Amino acid sequence: MSLAPETEITEMLFRILFSILLLTLIVLLSYWQNINLEKVFTWSFVRGFIQILLMASILIVIFELRDLLILYGVLLFMCVFAAYTAKNRFPYPNIFKLELVAITTASIFVMVIVTTPILTIDSTPISIIEREGTYIIPMGGMVIANVMVMTTIVLERLIADIKKSKGTIEAALSLGDSSWNSVKPILKESFRAGLLPTTNRVAVLGIVTIPGLMSGMIIGGVNPVIAAIYQVIIFLMILSAGFIGEIMIGFLFIKELFTSEDQLKISWFNPK
Amino acid sequence: MNGQSMDNQKQKNNGEDCPICFQNVSFIINSNQIINNISVRIDRKGITGIIGPSGSGKSTFLRLLNRLISATTGRISLDEKSYDTIPVRELRKRIGLVQQRPYLFAKTVEDNLTYGPRIWGVSLSKIDLIELLDKVALPHEFLDRDVENLSGGEQQRVSVARSLANNPDILLLDEPTSALDIVSEEILENTIRNLSQEGIKIIIVTHSLEQTKRLTDQLLFLKDGKFIEKTSTKEFFHKYNEKEIRGFFKKKESR
Repeated sequence: MSLAPETEITEMLFRILFSILLLTLIVLLSYWQNINLEKVFTWSFVRGFIQILLMASILIVIFELRDLLILYGVLLFMCVFAAYTAKNRFPYPNIFKLELVAITTASIFVMVIVTTPILTIDSTPISIIEREGTYIIPMGGMVIANVMVMTTIVLERLIADIKKSKGTIEAALSLGDSSWNSVKPILKESFRAGLLPTTNRVAVLGIVTIPGLMSGMIIGGVNPVIAAIYQVIIFLMILSAGFIGEIMIGFLFIKELFTSEDQLKISWFNPK
Repeated sequence: MNGQSMDNQKQKNNGEDCPICFQNVSFIINSNQIINNISVRIDRKGITGIIGPSGSGKSTFLRLLNRLISATTGRISLDEKSYDTIPVRELRKRIGLVQQRPYLFAKTVEDNLTYGPRIWGVSLSKIDLIELLDKVALPHEFLDRDVENLSGGEQQRVSVARSLANNPDILLLDEPTSALDIVSEEILENTIRNLSQEGIKIIIVTHSLEQTKRLTDQLLFLKDGKFIEKTSTKEFFHKYNEKEIRGFFKKKESR
């Protein structure tokens, strides 16, 4: 693989220029409806565009590599970045640490499973996904991004519900219940809240949407049936990593929020 | 005055029984000193009222006793055993806390009454449950009621019964009647009196001068996180006139 030929680059330049018209439309709509997100839209698109361009250039190099360790290093970097992004949504202490542990453990665990050879056919080792950068990096990236979103939903839900049910939680504690038990119903609901959007996406698969990975592979010229199988695999990867990540962030968060004496750290919600 | 009572405190702690004791207890949160170096001995019998203006640390005092929070400095002890040597959950079982609002669990009254014992692997018989309802003067058919459909007074009584299901030695009540009508208040006060007669130690935070008079045997008067006075209720109402006492109950000026 190498940089695209020159004519293709000129074509793409026009494409991106024209698509900026759509960004202008978004900004105008935001202005018209007083959403006050013009700056956010513009900035996030500019930032996202630069990031993904950089990523693409790096990918060109990475895809040449077949060294799994380097590929996993790249995934690790993505995890750190995802945790950092997730952290910014919460004005509370230690969120980065929690997110980093949850996202990294869950994503890397699932990636290791899917890249471990299960059997050999004609002396070629077969794993769930191909052990190549072209598969590991984009699919890993999707897993990490989704784990990030799912763990954030869980955290948001947990924080809101615990704030709301502080009295009931302390009622349970005051009766001698464990901190873990006192938040069990809330924890369960937050796990569900984190999982449902992805589960819904799986349910409408093929009928309402042809999701990203499959579309990408089809555009790239892969047989749609093979693309479909990969799509199912990626959803299984996302859901399993997401579920593990959710449970981890839930556990870590509850541990963070209670003292070893089963006391709710109320001051945690009012960081200085 | 403060120094003197602290000296008394020390004498009493030397060997003599100390049922519920605070020794130089302070509680500080976000650099706000809520409880300020309190030393006090509370009897194991009767009804002790905690009074004082809003923001004087009354609720915090109860939360310290139930150990929903831990003292920043100082030592709290129960029957001469320091709090940090008693397993926290066991302690909470022995010292029940009824909060200002009922905060009931979903869904039925029975679910709430069985919650505490279930933590300890105990299941309540129908007779136990009915006995609990009797204690708070609720009709027996209430067991299957959804707590959402109960009145405020009924909910608060369920919350008292929920704490009683744990068979506590001590029951802490944080302004339990502040949101209730007169009838519910009277029922709950009767319940509290009966419990005290059964030998359960009652410590109640109250905002009502009348309730203090009706209900309590001893008084602890808190102001700015300090105890100003510990006396019998009789003495208190003898010592100060109505106007002075009303002044004590007044809200503290905002900081």
